[in-house]
Amino acid sequence: MKIVQARRISQVFFFLLFIWFCIVSTVGEKLWQLRGWPVNWFLQLDPLAAIGTILTTHALYRGLLWALVTIILTIVFGRFFCSWVCPFGSLHHFVGFWGNRKKSAAQKIRLNKYRKAQCIKYFILVFFLFMAAFPSIAASLQVGLLDPIPLITRSFNLIFLPIVDRSVNFVSVSDRFYVGGWLIFAIFLIAVLLNLTIPRFYCRFICPLGALFGIINRFAIWRIGKRQNECVNCKLCEKSCEGGCEPAGKMRISECVLCFNCLDDCGENIISYQTQPSLAGEITNPDISRRGFVLSLASGIFAIPAVRLSGKLGSNWYHKVIRPPGALAEKEFLKRCIKCGQCMRVCPTNVIQPGGIDGGLENLWTPVLNNRIGSSGCQLNCVACGQVCPTSAIRPITLSEKLGTGEFAEAGPIKLGTAFFDRGRCLPWAMDKPCIVCEENCPVSPKAIYTQECFNTIRDGILTVKKVSDNTMETVENNLSLDKLATGDYYCAVEGDERRKIVANTENSIEISPDKLFGKIPTAGSKIEVQVRLQRPYVDIEKCIGCGVCEHECPVSGKKAIRVSAEGETRSADRKLLLKR
Amino acid sequence: MNEQNDKKLSRRQLLVSAGKTGISIAAAGAASYLLYDAKGPKAGVEYKEHVILKNFSVQHRPDQTMSIAKGSDRAETLNKAIKLLGGIERFVRPGETVAIKPNVAFASPPMLGATANPELVAEVVRLCYSRGKAKKVIVTDNPINDPASCFALSGIGKAASAAGAKVVLPKAKFFKHTTLAGGTLIKDWPILFEPFAKVDKVIGIAPVKNHHRAGASMTMKNWYGLLGGRRNIFHQDINTIIAELAMMVRPTLVILDGTEVMMTNGPTGGSISDLRRANTLIASTDCVAADSYGCSLLDMKVSDLPYLAKAEKAGVGTTDYESLKPILATVS
Amino acid sequence: MGLVPYRARRLESVISICLLAVLFLIGVGVFIKQFDYNTNQYGIQQLGVSLISIGAGLVPTGFEMLSKVEVYNSENLYEKINGKAPLYIESGFKELSTQRFVNINDRSLWMELYTYDMGTVKNAFSVYSIQRRAGSEAFPPMQLGTPQSGNPFAYRTDNALYFVHGRYYIEIVGSSESGELFSAIAEVARKIQANLAAGLDASIAELAMFPQENLVPGSIKLYLVNAFGFEGLTNTFTAKYKSGNETVTAFLSKRADSKDAEVIAESYRSFLIENGAVIKNTTSKTIVGKVMDFYGTTEIVFTAGPFVAGIHEAENQQAAEKLAKILINKLNSLNNE
Repeated sequence: MKIVQARRISQVFFFLLFIWFCIVSTVGEKLWQLRGWPVNWFLQLDPLAAIGTILTTHALYRGLLWALVTIILTIVFGRFFCSWVCPFGSLHHFVGFWGNRKKSAAQKIRLNKYRKAQCIKYFILVFFLFMAAFPSIAASLQVGLLDPIPLITRSFNLIFLPIVDRSVNFVSVSDRFYVGGWLIFAIFLIAVLLNLTIPRFYCRFICPLGALFGIINRFAIWRIGKRQNECVNCKLCEKSCEGGCEPAGKMRISECVLCFNCLDDCGENIISYQTQPSLAGEITNPDISRRGFVLSLASGIFAIPAVRLSGKLGSNWYHKVIRPPGALAEKEFLKRCIKCGQCMRVCPTNVIQPGGIDGGLENLWTPVLNNRIGSSGCQLNCVACGQVCPTSAIRPITLSEKLGTGEFAEAGPIKLGTAFFDRGRCLPWAMDKPCIVCEENCPVSPKAIYTQECFNTIRDGILTVKKVSDNTMETVENNLSLDKLATGDYYCAVEGDERRKIVANTENSIEISPDKLFGKIPTAGSKIEVQVRLQRPYVDIEKCIGCGVCEHECPVSGKKAIRVSAEGETRSADRKLLLKR
Repeated sequence: MNEQNDKKLSRRQLLVSAGKTGISIAAAGAASYLLYDAKGPKAGVEYKEHVILKNFSVQHRPDQTMSIAKGSDRAETLNKAIKLLGGIERFVRPGETVAIKPNVAFASPPMLGATANPELVAEVVRLCYSRGKAKKVIVTDNPINDPASCFALSGIGKAASAAGAKVVLPKAKFFKHTTLAGGTLIKDWPILFEPFAKVDKVIGIAPVKNHHRAGASMTMKNWYGLLGGRRNIFHQDINTIIAELAMMVRPTLVILDGTEVMMTNGPTGGSISDLRRANTLIASTDCVAADSYGCSLLDMKVSDLPYLAKAEKAGVGTTDYESLKPILATVS
Repeated sequence: MGLVPYRARRLESVISICLLAVLFLIGVGVFIKQFDYNTNQYGIQQLGVSLISIGAGLVPTGFEMLSKVEVYNSENLYEKINGKAPLYIESGFKELSTQRFVNINDRSLWMELYTYDMGTVKNAFSVYSIQRRAGSEAFPPMQLGTPQSGNPFAYRTDNALYFVHGRYYIEIVGSSESGELFSAIAEVARKIQANLAAGLDASIAELAMFPQENLVPGSIKLYLVNAFGFEGLTNTFTAKYKSGNETVTAFLSKRADSKDAEVIAESYRSFLIENGAVIKNTTSKTIVGKVMDFYGTTEIVFTAGPFVAGIHEAENQQAAEKLAKILINKLNSLNNE
């Protein structure tokens, strides 16, 4: 068996494994649902997530220890990950191969020559790492933007899977939405299409993970190289070179992705995977200029303090950024979130959405709740998001902690924010229409929404009595709608008497409930008022946990009459609404 | 021969490179081991530096705890009141650093009485230097409006500097988190700490004002200016916070200026007609007692201000100022 | 490929195969890992804990919790429901959670909610059907916003509501026959359906296997064990049919295959004969030898493919035979599908 065959099988294996993990990330017990599938494995193997979080938090969190395996194997063998494991890399490899397959050998060799621009990915890496490097001043983890594993995880989970699943509704019973998906898709598509110009475009020029590997593989024991000097310089080894590392000349170790195509293509058996450096010479260091390095370093250091001048982490914070239960306080959160989208994928109600930049540049693709989308706000007895977060930007809380039961009873439930009524839009407050859907759906007990009864005289509701017989009253006016008042919400208020419930009406008569007839028969010519009984809802902000079910259910479906805002969220001490809980 | 050398060379090379590989692996492994965190982050944010304000009070003298000077000239009444308590020398030792905390809450002109009187502040500064022989006097506060504007428009900045004091504006890095032992509200809360960290004595200066929320704003409420963060949240339990402030700050001396009292529309006032001349100035080592006497100038009773009783219960001072045998004097 | 030394090529092959072996091991590792999970982690929980956590969300409008949630397992179930316990325990009972709600304004109106986790839909249906009180009124499918989610397994008496929710059997019993109280009971039922994850996927196939004509609605029962007092009749469904003024009971039970069905049918017939049954004559050819007289009632026991089926304790032999024929035809047509 040829080594390239093994490599191809490995690429297919890991790609399919990746797709499988995307499919099964639905909470449930069936074999094709979450169960114990290690759906975060690729993200955990990714050393950028590990190193990034080590820089920002000075700790290596749990599952990210897998990155050590990748690092050690890379140190010993070289950039195996790029060619053998990375699903994004495999995709680029395939598209690059397929898009350029009809070209001649000479054209392909030209496409695969080393380009100076391949140093850009190192600058990108340095830029991101230094953005994360000084948590005491200001540090933010933004590697997730271009790190290939979170990128492909986002793209598949939030774009391709929902689109494909819409036709079969296998993974999800309802159609899933992800706000701003167009941007994620666009970036993914551009990255993939660029392979038609130069194969593995992203890997060679952009990928910061590849750059990281390119730096740490300098002491690899084995590397690609010429084992003999009798090379005829046919350059066929560069025909399918994936890394753009020029094995025909001085071998650029930092660019070699161990695809072994050169070994396979060499007709003279010159290229091998060996312990000694290539007999034609070897360059271990990435080709980056000191100027470029310093520039990206400085930019990285200044970038976050510059971005944070917007005040979005201080007094100018954006109230619509409502984060999932268990999320850390904002500064700490931004140190850990790698924008992988797992929480958005696993959320059973589809309420977690990728954030936009309205909450600040750092907010892009971080999890933000949008209560209008999905089935029901943040489901009360669900803590799935924290369980799948690979870096603990959302802590893996227990249900007890979320609901404030058991040992957390004194601390109380976790609040995501507080609901606020927009009384100008709320039906009972502004439109004289009964409705208490919000109160009915409030899941906590005692409810955080309570109502107070009030009676309002309706429009054109003052009528003149013509005649009263039994429980029917004829009016002088003739402009009521037939049985409009028969819903059980309308009452007839008479001076000096209790109001009576209306059970039916015609254009000019009102019938009150026989259970309770008029105490004092109204005289002809006197005035009565038709009133609507309203239950006007209030939020008890001590009890409200900001779950958003009320906002979701509110029938004023455009701009909701009750909206959750992040004030009062438990995770932020400085956004407290109440003095005590 | 050459071939053997070559082989040796490459073998040595191999060993060296294997060594480098090994070291890299060991470094990676060691880093992982040391940094490994199985538990993950905790919910709240932990502040690494926690500070406590120290106790700035001097030796207690039961017969010289509170003095009341009546007169229309603040410099005169001030000097009299302090002399009655043993003179500034009792409170400020030669070579010491003193922090004066006046009420500079608003960017309001001095004649409206919403802030401490600038001449009064200047006189205290002068006393500290001339009689107390202080090495350095600073004047500081964390105002509600913009700090630079407040110190400028209230006149306190200029008056204090002219008298030789250094005006310290509240910079963000001056705030550190503190927790009050026995407190329920001041927990992990940022206070203006740095200016007070290295001083020996603290003197508070406050005018007597009516306050819509708290009832009155006098020497105890004056310490609100030490709170940082979004301190307005404490207005939901205003009496407890004032009592806890009095527990947290134990000053050397407080001056309560009742020369012109803001009777209505406090704490900002806004009109001369809000003021009433009472020509009274109180000096005391007991904030609670000073405020308890001061409320009479507002035509209030001690029971009208729940925070007085709360503070007394916490052991900070006494509302029964008569028991302290305050020394009364009139300055012509 | 040119002249590659034999050795290098073999080395390459060996390494490639080893790498593939590593991939295989990874695949195996991943597959083994997926068995290791605890649904409590994600919030899908064992009932007791989940009722405690969602119990708060079940309180109907105008009511409050009267007592804390009580949880019982098979060892102490007896303490709560006494003599009824064996029925549940035999039917796969896992856990019972109970809770009481009381009307805030009128303390005489209260209800008690019993949530039995029976493990599977079939088990829940079994205890539900066996417990069904005669003269009860089928409760209209409980609306949950979509007609599809209407629950066909629900009935009410004057003061209580009984229904199946996935693997749970739920009883909500009110303290009085008040209409207001029953509205609140219905509200709790709706909330349970909305909030309690119950694995509603499994449906009960056998229900459709009974002929529909003259079937008394809501009369289908499932006996998981010991149907008609005979050990071998497990997983047996019974249904009542109208025949003139009388009712005739039919039964069926799906076995592993037709051989197993024959064995069970034969042993049941022997059991009946041992206890005094006598084989009767019959004009119907298909059930010759399968009709018995048991102390004056007619018992017919036959097989149809993998099904053991028949008529149980019928008063009228003719009616019994007629129904038996219809049943045979239905089962045979199902077997031929």
